[in-house]
Parts: sequence; structure tokens; C-alpha cells
Amino acid sequence: MDALMILAQEGAGLTGNIGSGLAAIGYGLGAIGPGIGVGIVAGNAVQAMARQPEVAGMLRTNMFIGMALSEALALIGFVVFFLAG
Amino acid sequence: MDVILAFSCNPTEQPLCIPESILELFELPVLFGSVNRTMVYIALSALIVMAVLFFAYRKPRLVPTKFGLAVESIVDFVRNDIAIGVIGPGGEKYAPYLLSLFLFILVGNFFGLTPFINFPIGSRMAIPAFLALVTYAIFVFMGFKKQGLAYLGHTLWPPGVPVALKPLIGVIELVSIFIVRPFSLAVRLFANLVAGHTMIALLLGSGVYFIYAAATGEISALKGFVVGPLWFVFGMAIFLLEILVLALQAYIFTLLSAVYIESSLHPAH
Repeated sequence: MDALMILAQEGAGLTGNIGSGLAAIGYGLGAIGPGIGVGIVAGNAVQAMARQPEVAGMLRTNMFIGMALSEALALIGFVVFFLAG
Repeated sequence: MDVILAFSCNPTEQPLCIPESILELFELPVLFGSVNRTMVYIALSALIVMAVLFFAYRKPRLVPTKFGLAVESIVDFVRNDIAIGVIGPGGEKYAPYLLSLFLFILVGNFFGLTPFINFPIGSRMAIPAFLALVTYAIFVFMGFKKQGLAYLGHTLWPPGVPVALKPLIGVIELVSIFIVRPFSLAVRLFANLVAGHTMIALLLGSGVYFIYAAATGEISALKGFVVGPLWFVFGMAIFLLEILVLALQAYIFTLLSAVYIESSLHPAH
């Protein structure tokens, strides 16, 4: 916890507001899950396209839908960052 | 510095150009009384889109000119790959909307990388929010028009789900379709533009800062004249990446609009 506060203070050095430092750390943590999720979606879509190139168009559409759904959490995090910072 | 940044700022005094208030990004532009920068660029991008389409199709000919062929390939891509490819037969009815959405966002995004303009119009929350609301209105309206009240029934009481789970799934679907969909559509475009533009400004601004500091003797010449140009190289690499990201975001916005419209036209799966 102490290390976190030190990091937040370092991050706040530019604006002098510790809340913005904490918000940046929070967004970084919040982006881990969606990052993993988007990676899994894209990786599996590429694998499926390699196995069956003839359905690549349909797979690409579904890949973007899956990415959009898992990315939504990161986007909420981005807005919360603005609200908190 | 106006070549890099959208607003005047001297990076030799201040390495990070922080605007007065970050909430500026969320303010709606004033509609009457004063014309601001955002409105000028919105009008400009709409004019560019209209001019390109007008000059490409003014005189339709059997063998198109090179310019006509280039525009035709974009129209064909949006019409066949996005509208018909996603919505299916009957999707060509939505092709004009999707094409104008795609071209407007594309041109508006590329303002962000144009020297001396440096202002992606999607980086003001009002613009992506409005575009997302138009898509939202279309897919909710088409859902009710095609399915009537069954549209709400499919959403709130989904068929093919065990009865015990139906209320839970219904609430999740309600939130995800009517709240998260337009929200994430708007914020995705906004976030990508703001983050990408901030990154380019930061990297190129750092280059200027290092070189200036070395020139005034604040840091050693070796440090400044080696690290500064490296920042420029890195910034230019990100600049190239941004070209890809901007085009991709216009595509994703259009594609997801088509997907959402499709989902309210054909509920059965």
C-alpha cells in the first residue's frame, strides 16, 4: 500500500494532485483484464482464420464484436480515470 | 510548435503541455453566437466528403477515371463488405448511412495528423457521442419497427434460456444493449483519438525539449543531441502507427454500427 502511494505521488508530480496519480494507477490495473481478453479473442480468431481461410470474413466480424464487448471494460476505466483525475 | 500541437504551448518552458482544464474535452461546443474551432473542422470535413463524392460521381462513365475508381473502391468496400456482408440481403438500404459515417469519421480523424490543424474532431466527446446516438436511434427504432414489442421481449425475457436464469440474463442484456452499446461506441473512438494524439504530442515535444536544453547548456550536448533526435524517431514511428489506428477506428465504428443494426433486424440467433 505504501509503495502504491509513493507511485501515486510520483505520478501526481506533473499536476500536483495525488488523485490523478491514483487514477492513473487504477486505470493501469483496470486495463489488465481487457488486455488479456482482447488478446485471447484476436489470437483465437487468427488461429481459426489460419485453419479455415474461406470463412475469414465472418470470423473477422465476430472478432470485432468480441473485441468490442471485452474492450468496453477498459473504456469504462478510461472514463472513470477522467472523473477521478 | 503549432506544427505538432493543436494549441499554442512552449515546450522549452514546460515539457508537458497540460491544457487549462481536462474537462474541456467533454464540453459541448456552443451552437449559436460563437463559432469555434471544432465547428469549423466539422463543416470542413463534411465539405471534403461531399466534394470527393460529388467530383467522383458527377459524370458517371463506363470506364471511370483513376480518382473515380479509388472512390468507387471505398464505396464498394462499405457497401459490400460492411453493409451487405454484415446485415445480409437488404443491407444495401443502410449503405448510404454507413458510407457517410465512415467517410466523415475518416476525414475527421485524419485532421489529427494534418500539420497545422492537429485536431481530430472526434477528440471532443460531443461528436462521437452524437454519432453513436444516431446509430442508437436507428437500431432501437428498427428493432421496434421490425419486431414490434417482441423486440423488448427478446431482450428482457430471452428465449432458449432456463427460466431461473431469465431475469438475470434479461437485466444483463438490457444494460449491455441499451446502455453499454452506445456508450462504448462513442468512448472507443474518443479514447483512441485522445490517447494517440497525446502520445504523439508528448514524444515530439520531448524531442524539442531535449534539443533546446542541450542548446542552452542545461544538459550536456551529447545527451541532448543524441536523445532528442531519438525521441523524434520514436514519435514518427508512433505517427505511422496512428495512421493505421485512425483508419481502423473509422472502420470499427462503421462495422459495429452495422452489427448493432443487424442484431435488431434478425433476432433469431
